[in-house]
Amino acid sequence: METTLHSLYLGFSVALQPANAWYAFLGCLVGTLVGVLPGIGPLAGISILLPVTFGLNATQAIIMLAGIYYGSQYGGSTTSILMRIPGEASSVMTCIDGYAMAKKGRAGAALCIAAIGSWIGGTFGVLVLTVVAPPLATIAIRFGPPEYTALLVLGLIFLAYMSSSSLIRTLLMACLGLLLGMIGIDNMTGHFRYSFNLAELGDGIGIVPVAVGLFGLGEILSTPSADAVKDIITPRLRDLLPTRKEWAEAAMPITRGTLLGFIIGIIPGSAHVISSFLSYALERRVSKHPDQFGKGAVAGVAGPETANNAASTGAFVPLLALGIPTSPITAVLIGALMIHGVSVGPTLVNEHPDVFWGFVASMYVGNLMLLALNLPLVSVFVTVLRIPYAYLYPLIIMFCIIGVYEVNNSVVDVWIMLIMGILGYALRKFDFDPAPLVLGLVISPILEQSLRQSLIMSNGNYFIFFSRPISLGLMMVSITLLALAAYAFVLKRTDWRSKLAAAEAGEAEK
Amino acid sequence: MTLRADHVAGAFFIGLGLLVIALSGDLPTGSLSMPGSGFLPKIVAVLTIFFGFVLVARAKESKAFARLSWSDAKHAALVVTITAAAIALFEPLGFLTTNVLLIFALLAIIERRKLLPAAVYSVGVVVTTYILFVYVLKTPLEPGPLGF
Repeated sequence: METTLHSLYLGFSVALQPANAWYAFLGCLVGTLVGVLPGIGPLAGISILLPVTFGLNATQAIIMLAGIYYGSQYGGSTTSILMRIPGEASSVMTCIDGYAMAKKGRAGAALCIAAIGSWIGGTFGVLVLTVVAPPLATIAIRFGPPEYTALLVLGLIFLAYMSSSSLIRTLLMACLGLLLGMIGIDNMTGHFRYSFNLAELGDGIGIVPVAVGLFGLGEILSTPSADAVKDIITPRLRDLLPTRKEWAEAAMPITRGTLLGFIIGIIPGSAHVISSFLSYALERRVSKHPDQFGKGAVAGVAGPETANNAASTGAFVPLLALGIPTSPITAVLIGALMIHGVSVGPTLVNEHPDVFWGFVASMYVGNLMLLALNLPLVSVFVTVLRIPYAYLYPLIIMFCIIGVYEVNNSVVDVWIMLIMGILGYALRKFDFDPAPLVLGLVISPILEQSLRQSLIMSNGNYFIFFSRPISLGLMMVSITLLALAAYAFVLKRTDWRSKLAAAEAGEAEK
Repeated sequence: MTLRADHVAGAFFIGLGLLVIALSGDLPTGSLSMPGSGFLPKIVAVLTIFFGFVLVARAKESKAFARLSWSDAKHAALVVTITAAAIALFEPLGFLTTNVLLIFALLAIIERRKLLPAAVYSVGVVVTTYILFVYVLKTPLEPGPLGF
């Protein structure tokens, strides 16, 4: 514990340096804007702004990019509450009761509860991360290829199981991502694979062009400007403070959302999206007045908003302790650190303590900044929403092109982004969620290498994954999840995943 | 039989899996004890084909293909065309010229905005972005034939 406190002191000494604090602030501000603006999610936002971090050191880069990530969770609630448009996917559930509260004249209170809940959820997540990540990293050093293979397989299966779209659709997207990740030189044998004599494809397809294409450009292609106009409810600043009754109604949902969100966050998958739905379902179930949900229940805002922030912080545990990306967003963050010459994994805490602890400490600071930003400046963020979409999306396309080109100074990457944009548009038409594709792309090289190394180690015996305790445990969890999914499929049960899909579809149609 | 969205999607993935297998012809599969560079791609391609068939088999749960809305397709096609032209011109003309043309074209052709405001907006945001990246963030952008 003493070591942790000492390390945290080191972290704060790094995070509170004026330059680092400035980049945390900048990340939080941009993240809030990314969350506020419909059409740009945190993944596209981080990818587009990745080149901006090239001139920074690794600590400043990760502080700023992570600020964009958790800042977007705060900002996402603004459009949900004021416009009934989820600024990003994890705010879908907030639309329901947040907008209902706004229509009753309680928009300010809803925004305040969302911001306070987000702060509590985020700060709790960082506290646990501080304590848990270093010892977990010590254990992770004992991971060999079979354990990594089992963990990555579990990640993919968990993502498929938790996905709101069907299991088959998610697995297909993951397969497509894995196949894209195999383009380029095979690290173990030096063979060129599917590169069609293009030298630029020798290093494979990068995460940034794929993520920006699928999530940035793809969204723009699907959104003609005529469809982007919506009424905005403007909250009055004097109504920002909730009443005593509203505080009382929010207290327990915030507590439950914090715990639930963090636990879901550390499990691979699109945790922040899933956590908000589960929190909403939980609050409705435990409520004495479930009939109030959908009509402006405070718990319907407090629970999901807290949970999605706790989950986005929880997602940093496997990232920092194991070096495993559990979502496309953390995958891009890993990519960003690699560009700066820092490899993420169990050794990060010892090899780059300034990066690790500076980053952790910056999240304490960043969460406070977000609280200060989101409440007083809500009317400023609402003003941004008044910029006509027709003027906004050409700007986003320009940033997509700069963002992708600047990573490798390669125009081939920009063409890949365009192709991925078209693919993203088509996938939306056919109800496919592109997130598992990006995750598949990222883990593809690690999965392939660890699988092949495991088989070489065992002389071709697949039993190696069941003969070592950690990999056995992970494989058993994977098998259990597949059995649960098969059970729901065979009995055609409507479980919580189907309900999430229905809720998302319902919000999309409104 | 009604053609459904998942019939088309499933057929696409089956075709993709077959294409990957066809392109993997010269990649050594190796053996279980020494997997080659074609080992995992072929496994994933077979899984893609399998899941594609499952999608086709369960296609009756999906929308009819004819009911898919393509009302945004014209907007998408125009954005793709203009963006593709901008990408083609990006290296020869550089950041400033290409992006002014890109934003102006999107505003004037797709959004039917008046030419003067569209031109002022295009030049304004691109020059501001250039100054922000090059002078504030110290991130060089692609120079044009005139060196900026």
